[in-house]
Amino acid sequence: MTLHWRGLGSGLVVVTLAAATAMAQQVDSRLERLDSITRPIVAALVDSARAAALPTEPLVQRALEGATKRASAERIVAAVRRLALDLGHARNALGPTTSPPELAAAAAALRAGAPPVILTELRRIRRESLTVPLAVLTDLVASGVPVDSAAAAVLSLAAKSRDTDLVEFRRAVERDIALGAPPASATAAAVAAAAVQVNAGARQQRPGRP
Amino acid sequence: MFEADEELVGRVVRQLRRPVTVDSALDERVMEQIARLPARRGGGTARDVWRWLTRPRTVRLSPLSALAIAAAFVVVALSRPDRFYRPAPASARAFGFVVVAPRAATVSLVGDFNDWDAARTPMQRARRDGSVWTAVIPLTPGRYRYAFLVDGVSWVADPAAPVARDDEFGTPSSVVTVGGS
Repeated sequence: MTLHWRGLGSGLVVVTLAAATAMAQQVDSRLERLDSITRPIVAALVDSARAAALPTEPLVQRALEGATKRASAERIVAAVRRLALDLGHARNALGPTTSPPELAAAAAALRAGAPPVILTELRRIRRESLTVPLAVLTDLVASGVPVDSAAAAVLSLAAKSRDTDLVEFRRAVERDIALGAPPASATAAAVAAAAVQVNAGARQQRPGRP
Repeated sequence: MFEADEELVGRVVRQLRRPVTVDSALDERVMEQIARLPARRGGGTARDVWRWLTRPRTVRLSPLSALAIAAAFVVVALSRPDRFYRPAPASARAFGFVVVAPRAATVSLVGDFNDWDAARTPMQRARRDGSVWTAVIPLTPGRYRYAFLVDGVSWVADPAAPVARDDEFGTPSSVVTVGGS
């Protein structure tokens, strides 16, 4: 049999495309930790997210968390599906070029009750990554700070503050709340202190800790 | 003997000093020969290589050989060991985790950073105080949910970290956020 180069090249292109498609459709081996009922459903959700250009790693991690915690199939599937929806809403609010860590943080912020318009506004005012501002917003709400107060605080600091400033701000709020201050008051006081610190340029690098 | 040599040298010198008669048509003949040579441009080797690369030719392959080549491509593409492996980039920072568990036999750190795999990050008992367990792992910028698994059965949140309110499996979890600036 004689094959011309053109024919061989076309054949290789087809094979390569087939291989790429097979790679894309192959189930993540980590999902083998899920039971036989949960695995195909989660795999389908992951594939759908991939097709929609959403990050799939948070979905895989949520499913693995459920498996490790021995959650039921229904619970795992519901959690993964909810997270996929949140990721989609987050991207709608932040734009198509948002990084996966930002989308994951934004999804958590939306789940905590932050309105999408806050996310859009954060994107507008901050040039750097939104991962930490969004995480701080979520953590403040988790600490009992009303969503509106937390959003206003993060918006007021996000434009000029570095990530470390925002993490320090969150710690200050949590410290004051632990000492008995009302969450909204603690937030307002920490915003004022953080603003002074940021404007003075008095930044201090601390060793990594949660 | 010297006189004979001098005479020889003298004859040679006289011969060399004699004017040479050149044919008047020599220049024309030389130029005609040059004109007959084929014109040669620069970069001949590169042209030859390019012609060799672009010249159509036929290759004889058996169907089995063609299938073997195609299968080799597929195998190479599918067997990449790093398909699902995400190495920690240079921006990763070391983070320390500490929990107090006085009666624990084993404590594991599990979270979004290690596939919630209890075997991946076993915590070490501190030497001075046997009730304190620690682990240090590299984390890239992002938000991670995690928890401590004590003796393989008890889930414990990190008391020094924010609580994860988006926990959907009925057990306590914490959050660590790693910034990039």
